[in-house]
Amino acid sequence: MKGSSARPLVVTGGALLGLAAVSFALSYVGLGAASLPVALAIAASKALLVLAVFMELKDEPASAKWAVFTAILLISILVLFAVLDVATRTPPPLAVPPSGP
Amino acid sequence: MPERTGHFESPEVEAHAARLGMWTFLASELLLFAGLFTLYSASRAHDPAGFHAGIVHSARIIGSTNTAILLTSSLTMALAVHELRESRRSACVRLVLATAGLGVIFLCLKGLEYALHLTHGIAPGGGRPSAYEGASTLFWSLYFVMTGIHAIHVLVGVGLLMWSAQRVRRGRIQPESSHRLHVVAMYWHLVDVIWIFLWPLFYLA
Repeated sequence: MKGSSARPLVVTGGALLGLAAVSFALSYVGLGAASLPVALAIAASKALLVLAVFMELKDEPASAKWAVFTAILLISILVLFAVLDVATRTPPPLAVPPSGP
Repeated sequence: MPERTGHFESPEVEAHAARLGMWTFLASELLLFAGLFTLYSASRAHDPAGFHAGIVHSARIIGSTNTAILLTSSLTMALAVHELRESRRSACVRLVLATAGLGVIFLCLKGLEYALHLTHGIAPGGGRPSAYEGASTLFWSLYFVMTGIHAIHVLVGVGLLMWSAQRVRRGRIQPESSHRLHVVAMYWHLVDVIWIFLWPLFYLA
């Protein structure tokens, strides 16, 4: 890809640092219960930018895109069900059992 | 002349195979972190207050500085690959070395952060209970394990970057074989992506 411009890379780098600054500033605002979802949404946006532009996933054939998409989907399912289990099971599965005599 | 393994019928096929192989390797690398992220999520769902207390006592400024450093290093690495494709090898080498330098600074700050925590009585799986101030001991154990494994990846990445800089400088990696630098860059970017998620989980929210 000789003759291409470095401008998209620089713009992406600037966007990443800008999003990080927003995340940092919001951590002092105190969004309560929304703080974690918002921080993770910003993180996901940054990760997508890195994947698409810096790692050039946007230019890859469908085979590579499917490999990445499948990995992210399966990890999301793993995390989701682990959290749902802990949040809904009674007694909690991670509870420390009382020590015996 | 760049070396090319004989069984590839063209440089394009070799480049595609290298990139697909790297994507597959990176997906398998994610398995390691997926287990740890799952443990973190389940533990946090069990004890949200304990994890919030841990975040309050984390080294937010150092962690955030490290975020800016890693994001910048991803940019310099992407620019290095771009410069190689534009046949500007010396600029490429400088950018790869700058990326490695930023990685070393990241590791130094991480070492400082660990030292500060240990000095204050915060240690993986134990330490001085009064230093935790309501934070879950599991939070600190996960903090040391997950950021520690990530730091090992950064260290490996710095080594790969130094090696790649030498290969570009000696002409072993040419603009026509830029995929050999790009696959190293992909590894470095993945290390950045993992930190992008570790940062809010251990320092921000």
